[in-house]
Amino acid sequence: MLVDAIHPCDELEQLVKRTQQGDQAAFAALYEQCHRRVYALCLRLLADQAHAEDASQEVFVQLWHKISQFDGKSKFTTWLHSVTSNIAISYLRKHKNWLQKVVSFENSGMDEAGIALCGDLNGLDKLVLRLPERARLVFVLHGVEGYRHEEIAEMLGMAVGSSKSQYHRAKKLLQEWYEND
Amino acid sequence: MTKPTFDEFLSQEVSKAQQQQDLPEPQRPLWQGIDKAINAQSDTVHINEAAKGNGVWRQMSALAAATCVGMCVMYFSLSIPEQNNMVQMSQYFEQQKQILLVQYGNQPALTNDWQVQLQELEEAEQAIKLALENDTQNAALLQMLAQVYQQQLDLIERVHQPRWQKI
Repeated sequence: MLVDAIHPCDELEQLVKRTQQGDQAAFAALYEQCHRRVYALCLRLLADQAHAEDASQEVFVQLWHKISQFDGKSKFTTWLHSVTSNIAISYLRKHKNWLQKVVSFENSGMDEAGIALCGDLNGLDKLVLRLPERARLVFVLHGVEGYRHEEIAEMLGMAVGSSKSQYHRAKKLLQEWYEND
Repeated sequence: MTKPTFDEFLSQEVSKAQQQQDLPEPQRPLWQGIDKAINAQSDTVHINEAAKGNGVWRQMSALAAATCVGMCVMYFSLSIPEQNNMVQMSQYFEQQKQILLVQYGNQPALTNDWQVQLQELEEAEQAIKLALENDTQNAALLQMLAQVYQQQLDLIERVHQPRWQKI
């Protein structure tokens, strides 16, 4: 899994501890430090700006209620990314319309107009958001977040082989778009 | 300057993403909603109590709508291979829409322009149906049609049924 630290770890740890004790000011500061990474991950997974914003809110509301479950054995940001991924995936399931559930239609990726509405995106995000749903989910979880295909298969309810093939599909599409850009 | 190869580009960009560089910013402020949600437990209880008091009709309507959608889904899913998807979908969603419109007929809507929005969706529906006449099994068009129908139902429900707990 991804290990990273853009913010001083000590400060973040302090904010987490204070939030665990019910300090709302600390939680607000934690939000300030982490909301962009949460939103970025939601946006990459959901490929919809409004849904990514709603899911980010859901992440922080659940974080407030569940932060006591964080035991400090892993980095807080690693745990936060894991919570965010799970919430975004379940958000995606909840918001599938009935036809998608019945006949397994796959959502295509975001179109150029939608991407433009998301504001300043880096080169990779602009391409990732265009990917079809399953390829996008696998690419983000494996290629960016560092999950193993076995973990992804369990999270998304697909075979390990499907996860691997979706990853290759994603890379192929990204390469095609990058080279034609 | 030459363009990096795809592998170089991917490696650089993934590394940036993992280090949380160049992160996008949400387009609307999110904190107020979160703050409200975590501080609104007592309010929520109060609102739920109020909703229980006058919401029997709404609950019945929602139940009827959900049952109807369930039946549509079952019927449609069982008969997909044999029949014309567009005709089936249209018939059942039209019925579903009429049921909702009748159910909510006497209730005030939350917005004044919802009928204009509904009309726009109906125009989109007609355009997709026209395209489907030449390509009846086009999955992408069928998906679009289903989405437009779903949006119509969502719109009718949304403007008549406030979501109490939406952040």
